[in-house]
Amino acid sequence: MRALNTAATGMMAQELNVQVIANNIANMRTTGYKRQRAEFQDMLYEHVRRIGTQTTDQGNILPVGVDLGSGVKTVGTPRIMTQGTLTQTGGDLDVAIRGEGFFKILMPDGTFAYTRDGSFQMDAQGRIVTAQGNLVQPGITIPQNSSSLTINSQGQVSVVVSGSTTPTILGQLTLTRFINKAGLLPIGDNLFTETPASGAPQDGVPNTNGMGDLQQGNLEQANVEAVTEISDLIAAQRAYEMNSKVISATDQMLQSVVGLYR
Amino acid sequence: MENALLIGLSRQMVLSRQLDVVANNIANLNTTGYKADNSMFEQFLMPVARENRFNVPDRQLNFVNDRGTWHNFQPGALQQTGNPLDIAIKGDGFLVVQTPDGERYTRNGALQVNAQGQLVTMDGSPVMGGSGPIVLQETDRDISISPDGSVTVVEGADTQTESQRGRIRLVTFDAPQQLQKEAGTLFSAPDGVTPTPDTQSQVMQGVTEKSNVNGVVEMTRLIEISRAYQQVATLLQQQSDLHKNAIHDLANVPS
Repeated sequence: MRALNTAATGMMAQELNVQVIANNIANMRTTGYKRQRAEFQDMLYEHVRRIGTQTTDQGNILPVGVDLGSGVKTVGTPRIMTQGTLTQTGGDLDVAIRGEGFFKILMPDGTFAYTRDGSFQMDAQGRIVTAQGNLVQPGITIPQNSSSLTINSQGQVSVVVSGSTTPTILGQLTLTRFINKAGLLPIGDNLFTETPASGAPQDGVPNTNGMGDLQQGNLEQANVEAVTEISDLIAAQRAYEMNSKVISATDQMLQSVVGLYR
Repeated sequence: MENALLIGLSRQMVLSRQLDVVANNIANLNTTGYKADNSMFEQFLMPVARENRFNVPDRQLNFVNDRGTWHNFQPGALQQTGNPLDIAIKGDGFLVVQTPDGERYTRNGALQVNAQGQLVTMDGSPVMGGSGPIVLQETDRDISISPDGSVTVVEGADTQTESQRGRIRLVTFDAPQQLQKEAGTLFSAPDGVTPTPDTQSQVMQGVTEKSNVNGVVEMTRLIEISRAYQQVATLLQQQSDLHKNAIHDLANVPS
């Protein structure tokens, strides 16, 4: 019976749904994390009696046909790229983006990755790096004997060098945006890379062309909402159970068929 | 073969198809924009099969046949997602999607933007506006979709100028039952069924329409089907026992 396979696709889809929800909940407190959602679509239909076929010589046509579907498939797990809430941390090198852009990060292999996680650090040479030690682009080196590091909303980084009273501008942080942010490929460590689906990266100065501005001393929280995730989890679990009931009902029906022959 | 067995068989065939329909509905319990299917049965009079072994007026035999599956176009529950590219349709309208096979219609409003800036479905098929696909520019932000389907964005540098990127096309059908389901929560219109522009329906942004499958209804239907199937099986069993006994008893010639 087809119902066995149909219900099996339903169970697999819901299992994947629970996996996605579990990952969202696990990353509830991850800086710059964007929640994912499993999207499903129905699978092929067998048109046992096709709509619109002629049934009599007088030209009567079938108003409805018999369409038997074959289950559900997962079509994607798109990321919902909405703005997360900002929390104040007070850290000099904690920067949150309020808008569309991403920070550009130089990976050890020379390629670029992009992130919304602005919890930066300083390495031994005074350069601004991510928590994994990868360089934030464009590279900015903070001199040793400096104080009051300021990153303004336009991304300008300035410090006061000891012995001077006026701040010195060290450089300008840039942001990158994509026409389809949801098409970026997640590679872990809060990083994304460019794909053919995301479109080419466009670099720019914060606060222009919809890049968004920078907020020093803040971090962007994950955009996961506990209530939504839990209610989705309940729905997924119940759907899983119902599909398993279909399998056991089909099994019972098959048993009664087997019992016919003694 | 005995007629009772054949009638029972016709019932079982129909029940197993109905089970397929119910299984497909339950499998799509969480599919955005999915519309449930229901089965319809009809009494089927066999022109030649008659029960006339006894001297009573002819009794015709009633077989059962599944005549069709109809789509339940009731609106599904709305789920707020907060994603600016999720839309749901309030009313009977459908979105128009351009696929390689031609125009298709859907209620699934979980949209994406592709690398060319076009508004597309999860499959990557462009959603049609009044004149072709809706294309967003690279510097667009703050996408807002108004109830009439107009897509407005804030464009350019620091300006607050809004510009329109097109209007999502909504269509309705006089007889939506004639639409045929295709994979990917799409519907196709058979020959002779043409869409008319929809002026009644409204687009809601930031929400998606969930599947309209009602779990409780489907579960009760499932119980009904599996019990009915077993009942018929028992009936067939008894019928075959009857035969067995008849053969056994009649062949038992006293010596």
